[in-house]
Amino acid sequence: MRNQNIIISPGGLEAIQARFGLRVAAHLSESTRELPHDVSERLKASRELALERARLARRAVAATSTQTQSNGGTATMIFGGGSGSDWWFKLASIVPIAALVAGFFFIEHAHTREQIAAAAEIDAALLADDVPPAAYSDPGFVEFLKTPRD
Amino acid sequence: MTEGHSLLASEKELSDFLKNVEKRAFKRALYAVRDDEAALDIVQDAMIRLAEKYVDRPVAELPLIFQRILSNATMDWFRRQKVRGAIMKNFSDFESAGEDGDFDILETLEAQDGSTASESAAEQVSRAQILLAIEGQIEQLPGRQREAFLLRYWEELDVAETAAAMGCSEGSVKTHCSRAVHALAKALKAKGIEL
Repeated sequence: MRNQNIIISPGGLEAIQARFGLRVAAHLSESTRELPHDVSERLKASRELALERARLARRAVAATSTQTQSNGGTATMIFGGGSGSDWWFKLASIVPIAALVAGFFFIEHAHTREQIAAAAEIDAALLADDVPPAAYSDPGFVEFLKTPRD
Repeated sequence: MTEGHSLLASEKELSDFLKNVEKRAFKRALYAVRDDEAALDIVQDAMIRLAEKYVDRPVAELPLIFQRILSNATMDWFRRQKVRGAIMKNFSDFESAGEDGDFDILETLEAQDGSTASESAAEQVSRAQILLAIEGQIEQLPGRQREAFLLRYWEELDVAETAAAMGCSEGSVKTHCSRAVHALAKALKAKGIEL
């Protein structure tokens, strides 16, 4: 460093920098050993507070984990457990949906049949009954009679 | 996941880690904010954040995470100060502290403890003055240079870890460190301090 003519390789320069940096760091470490008592005590209190928070956080994580396991256990009991419990769980989820869709189809089909039956009943009653004389004065009915049939 | 669980930090490991890192963390914060109480608050905040949010992380990850948290906590402090309009006061403190290394002899003597009793008074004063001079120069480094320098050489993180902790590229870390080393070497040499 003193002789400006000396050429230092990049690796050598980094090594020199690192050596200097570590020496400075050693002095800094020495300075941390001489911290005032009140600062050390405050740091200790902070550390204890942090550890207490960590304990609480761990408990919360453990409680969540236990609850998840408990829920899993309940499902296992219901669906027989074992390696096939996932399969049973999926099946149990699909069955109600399939039943609901089938129910909709059945209701729709029954409703259509009911409407057809009602219409047929009305048609049969109309065809079987006599046409009242007043009907012939209705222009719509006259038009209907005039309409050619296939 | 199962492999990770076996490496999770136990309470004792977390305690040992915090105990090991707390004084350096305090000093790092102090170099940045130059206020004991604020530095203590920052360290406490960083410790609590680590304990609450990263308790389930492997112990090997804690140093890097903690350094990142500490840096963020320090930045948060500066942001709050800026909001309060106190940043100008901090700059004026910076200028007065940097005035040519005049040491307060009472402060120097106050910093000594019983472990150095075997040294002569002159040696103790000289050693304490060197420490103060180094700390003074560290404080005067630009923030990013100081952070890179301290993470690399004091916390002994490698370049990649320092870059991760600082949220910058490895090239930037090398540049910051190089500049910091040159600035420190020049300033200490000017004070007649050889390391």
